[in-house]
Amino acid sequence: MTKREGGDPRPEQFSGFGRYAGPATLILSSLAEGPKHGYALTKDIERFADVRLAPGTMYEALSRLESQGLIEAVESDDRRRPYRLTAMGAEALRSHLAAQRKIADLGLQRLAGSWGAG
Amino acid sequence: MREGTRHRAARLLLWYPREWRARYGEEFIELLVAELDERPRSLRRSVDLARSGLTARVAAAGLGGQPLDTEGSGRRSLATLAAALSIFSVVAVALWAQLTIGWQWAPPATRATSLAMVLMSLAILVVGAICLLAIAPVAWLAVRSINARWRHLLGPIGLVLGGLAVLVVGTHHFANGWPGTRGHPWADQGMVPGGVAAYAWASTLFVTSYWLHPTALAQFPGGEVAWMLVSPVAVAALIVGATRIVRRVDLSPRVVRFERRLGLLAAVTTTIFLTGAALWVVDGGPGPRNLFHIGSIDVVELAALAFLVLVTGRAAGRVTAGKPPVAPA
Repeated sequence: MTKREGGDPRPEQFSGFGRYAGPATLILSSLAEGPKHGYALTKDIERFADVRLAPGTMYEALSRLESQGLIEAVESDDRRRPYRLTAMGAEALRSHLAAQRKIADLGLQRLAGSWGAG
Repeated sequence: MREGTRHRAARLLLWYPREWRARYGEEFIELLVAELDERPRSLRRSVDLARSGLTARVAAAGLGGQPLDTEGSGRRSLATLAAALSIFSVVAVALWAQLTIGWQWAPPATRATSLAMVLMSLAILVVGAICLLAIAPVAWLAVRSINARWRHLLGPIGLVLGGLAVLVVGTHHFANGWPGTRGHPWADQGMVPGGVAAYAWASTLFVTSYWLHPTALAQFPGGEVAWMLVSPVAVAALIVGATRIVRRVDLSPRVVRFERRLGLLAAVTTTIFLTGAALWVVDGGPGPRNLFHIGSIDVVELAALAFLVLVTGRAAGRVTAGKPPVAPA
């Protein structure tokens, strides 16, 4: 993981995503299970994150992820083209989630210290 | 039902630029069809599609964001810069011509409007010089490479020459009807030569609010109305042709750097023009016989100019050498 100026804990691959970092994380997490096309991604993300990505936002993030080599299109005869995670994408997601977990653990720890176990 | 949904999805796809549709169109329609089947109406989805489609168009024009063709993005910026500066020139000349007519009859009553006119006149002069300097190397390279790339350059060159011919002939003819004619008992000397002002007026006669007043427009001589219909087509041909040449001709990195510098200078100069125009609008243009009167079209033009200044600056800052983004047809 690269720690950028200003303390941004996102890995380098996520640094250019700006407001697409959220959708990108969701898409990569969904593709970690296996290749999926647009609608399958929408439904899967809705199921595990309770977030429904609108089609425009979904494809903006897909386009960015593809141009950075984090995902790739799978050859298919179907008009619904599936995408899959690349090795670089898997590594970027791993680093990103590890960083998120570190923050989540720290936050929970501090909450427990000041506010009780809850 | 399914066919109707597919048509609706295809219509929604039109928010996106052509190259985006070529790359993602088919699969995106599939996603939209599934979405529309599940939720036929969704304001959030409509807004999201409009926003992301326009964002993709901004990126495709080389104005920022994530373009699909990163290598050709710098050249797209140059083409957008050329288009923005051309449209700016048309609107600016239309606005300036209106004021020069006023000054032919009498000078403005306030220093603010006089200063505005001086700023606008100087800026227009510099923008004109910038345009000529920017056109020269591109035109030279287009002519030089016409043998090798005639299939790609012939159409745009035809558009430019055709548009230019119509504009020159028509402007020359209609400049005779210029309302700033000297010799009137209360005519002033004006601030620019009458011929220049008359040509500026005749070439931009179509930029007028008379389009919203058809009864008044019907009182105009038929030839003049025909010219008001033909001249914007000629201007559009000129701009489209020039933009296509910029996208298709092979420009060396040195020429691109030169164009970029001119673009940055144009961004500053257009800002000066905008400042002058805003000064006039804020001042309210007081003067004898309502000669510098502000109309709602002037406010609309000012807003359009502000937008074009933004586009010019943004595009100029992103111009880089790169392969021509348009694949040979």
